[in-house]
Amino acid sequence: MMARKKGVKALLLNWRVLLLILFLIGSVVSMSIKGLTYGIDIGGGVALIAEPEKPVSKDTLNGIITSLQNRLNTFGVKDITIEAQHDPETGQSLIVVKIANVTLDEANQIKDLIESQGVLYMEFNGVIFATGADVTVHSSDYGLDLQECPTCWYVGFELSGKAQNKFKEIAAGKLGWPIDIYLDPPVNSLLVVSPRVYQEMNSGDFMGAPSEGTPKPLVERLKEAFNITVVEYSNQTAEDIVENATALGKDKIILADVPEELYNDVRELVLSKDLKLRVSHYTPQQGEDLKDFVKRILNLYGPYVLKFDPAKGETTRLKLSGSAPTKEEALQEARKIYSVLRSGSLAVKLHVVSEEYISPTLGASFKKQAIIAGIGALIAVLLIVYFHYRRWRIAIPVASTSLFEVIIILGIAALIRWNLDLPSIAGIIAAIGTGVDQQIVITDELLGGTAGRVTRRMSALRRMARAFFIIFASAATTIVAMSFLLVYFVGTLKGFAVTTILGVLIGVLVTRPAYAEIAKYLLSLE
Amino acid sequence: MGTKKQKTKKKPSDEILKTKRKRLSFLVRMEPRKMILYPLVVFLVAALILAVHFPEKGIDLKGGVVVTVYHVSASPNELASYVKEKTGIDVRAEEFKDPITGLSGIRIYAPAKTAPSKIADEISNAIRLKYKDADVTPRVVDPTFGKIAQKQGIKAVIYAFIGMAIVVFLFFRDPVPSGTIIFSAFSDMVIALATMGILGIELTTATIAALLMLIGYTVDSNILLTTRLLRRKEDTIEDAYLSAVSTGFTMSTTTLGALFILWLVSTSEVIDSITIVLIFGLLADFMNTWIFNAGVLRWYIASPLKFSIKLRRGK
Repeated sequence: MMARKKGVKALLLNWRVLLLILFLIGSVVSMSIKGLTYGIDIGGGVALIAEPEKPVSKDTLNGIITSLQNRLNTFGVKDITIEAQHDPETGQSLIVVKIANVTLDEANQIKDLIESQGVLYMEFNGVIFATGADVTVHSSDYGLDLQECPTCWYVGFELSGKAQNKFKEIAAGKLGWPIDIYLDPPVNSLLVVSPRVYQEMNSGDFMGAPSEGTPKPLVERLKEAFNITVVEYSNQTAEDIVENATALGKDKIILADVPEELYNDVRELVLSKDLKLRVSHYTPQQGEDLKDFVKRILNLYGPYVLKFDPAKGETTRLKLSGSAPTKEEALQEARKIYSVLRSGSLAVKLHVVSEEYISPTLGASFKKQAIIAGIGALIAVLLIVYFHYRRWRIAIPVASTSLFEVIIILGIAALIRWNLDLPSIAGIIAAIGTGVDQQIVITDELLGGTAGRVTRRMSALRRMARAFFIIFASAATTIVAMSFLLVYFVGTLKGFAVTTILGVLIGVLVTRPAYAEIAKYLLSLE
Repeated sequence: MGTKKQKTKKKPSDEILKTKRKRLSFLVRMEPRKMILYPLVVFLVAALILAVHFPEKGIDLKGGVVVTVYHVSASPNELASYVKEKTGIDVRAEEFKDPITGLSGIRIYAPAKTAPSKIADEISNAIRLKYKDADVTPRVVDPTFGKIAQKQGIKAVIYAFIGMAIVVFLFFRDPVPSGTIIFSAFSDMVIALATMGILGIELTTATIAALLMLIGYTVDSNILLTTRLLRRKEDTIEDAYLSAVSTGFTMSTTTLGALFILWLVSTSEVIDSITIVLIFGLLADFMNTWIFNAGVLRWYIASPLKFSIKLRRGK
């Protein structure tokens, strides 16, 4: 009994077993702190793959990605991942956009947004005086404006001659008037808003600080510049709204801060009448004030305030500036505006070439399925291994080592914030499959010394060396093969390659050596 | 872990191992020439099948539209004719059901000639109009993207194969065993592809991933066999082969069992097709490793050729 206890202690203190235990603890901690994140095919959402209309350079591609990020952020959805793949030989690029937890309607809007070219507008008192093509932003021309105040920021830009002249003409002498900048505003739409939002839109928040005269209110500016008609919600029926939109020749209806049922009714009405109208619905998010909410609906940046008289002076370089509560926030704001201004000058159109949508409600059942499948497969391994060896002291360590491997893969996935999608889960399963194979190789090498008629011509050490030669050789091949998948595939199958490689690495470095020690100990008890 | 009362009977388990070996010993009695010949015939038949009937390409490689509908109270035919009537699009509908979660649904396939995403929108809208509670999940692949994915798939398989070949060669540094392993892997893939063609499983990015995974499994078993035979420490080749094949049998049955359970439980098309391809690939692998490769190695070890190479390796 004593000797056995000592054996267990020695086993637990063996560095290979210790390493396994450390990894296990780390993984459990990582999972409980960071939590697992799921891909859209499990959590629900949309995956879109877009291709630029013509080949672009790597730089332009990066520009497109920042621009997309900005534009999608204004959409108000949180979980967005954008990846790009660029083939330097052909100049062919693909952009993969994944967004979690959206409805089918939102998914369609996102698709439209990606395919629309991202138009930047600068508007003053109801007149558009510049679009993206008129704006030039020099690289890194933004930062903190310490001369103004410690938390003031600025972004510099230049306007084309034509835009500059127009600006001079309409803004002369109008110091303190608001200047609005829009990225993809909902042009030609009917905007139905709750009374409080309507009130906000007409409030001083959007009027700047005019020194003389009165600028037009936001609602009027929107009508004149973008043909956006704002209507206050006062219990109109869905029929009223749809009729109104059709009569005005709009192509979008936006409902903001109104009951969800109204949105559903309007949407159904549009569907049943087969109208070419897009319907969307916005509600204020938690902690979002009404001003920000209005800005989000309209994709409005600013309004900024005219600080100088454009009629005086000949400078072509203009500056947007503002302040924020802290230095970090100021810099963040400047960076955002900088990329918004830059994104307005992109000239490549994107075309969505693949789209996949998974309803969020299905996610739960997929997750349940994955767990059942995993447990089922594990039990199958346990029983089949037992059937082959008729020893629980082999079957249980084999099955539990596989379980540990899953835990460690998931722990690392949580640590690197890898989104688990179905292919990733398939990859985990594949890694476990080869893992079990290799544990069987180890077991048979160990048993080979004791069982059967085979002579003991090899020491246990040599046998282990042979087992690990096999293991390393097959691990190396799997990793090499999967690396090509990682490099040459875009989108969906990356997860498969990542989890397989991860699993094989963990297997070779952590779980297999530990299993060998445990099996050696358990078999030595016989 | 383990039992508290120490059982000193180790005979039953050893008996099991022995009977397993006895059952597998028919393989030892096989002539090496036949061991090489039969799998080659199977490979040729599979290649012939492939030449005649290559697996259909799935929508992610061909382009197309699939709309999956859950929670819908209609039969596939009802739904298909309703969609056809409402949108004028010629669609094909198929039902699927998961035995464990009880989740069932209908998949609607539409061809993608022009503007596939518009077709998907029309179909989804039509379905949502009539079946308000239905969960509609459209999937659209543009034919141009299908071509890109195809190219990527071919590239991935070819490079993975070359990478595998190089690694295997580096490990054994002996052309005959390495070449046999590489051919086995190739034959596994051909047989798996032929089975896909026969069973009507489509070639998709997921099944390409499965074929790549197959490379990993194939190499596992082949390296095991080659190592055991070339670095043999048992008395005879037959003994070494028998002990290796019994390990291989344990490995294959365990993996196959786990894959089978996976296939049974999952409703996801991705996982289903991956597991099916792996199951058939592994069955092919069992033959190619333990019969074909073993035959080649047994002939090779007995032949005078081997010695010269061994000497050059300095062993």
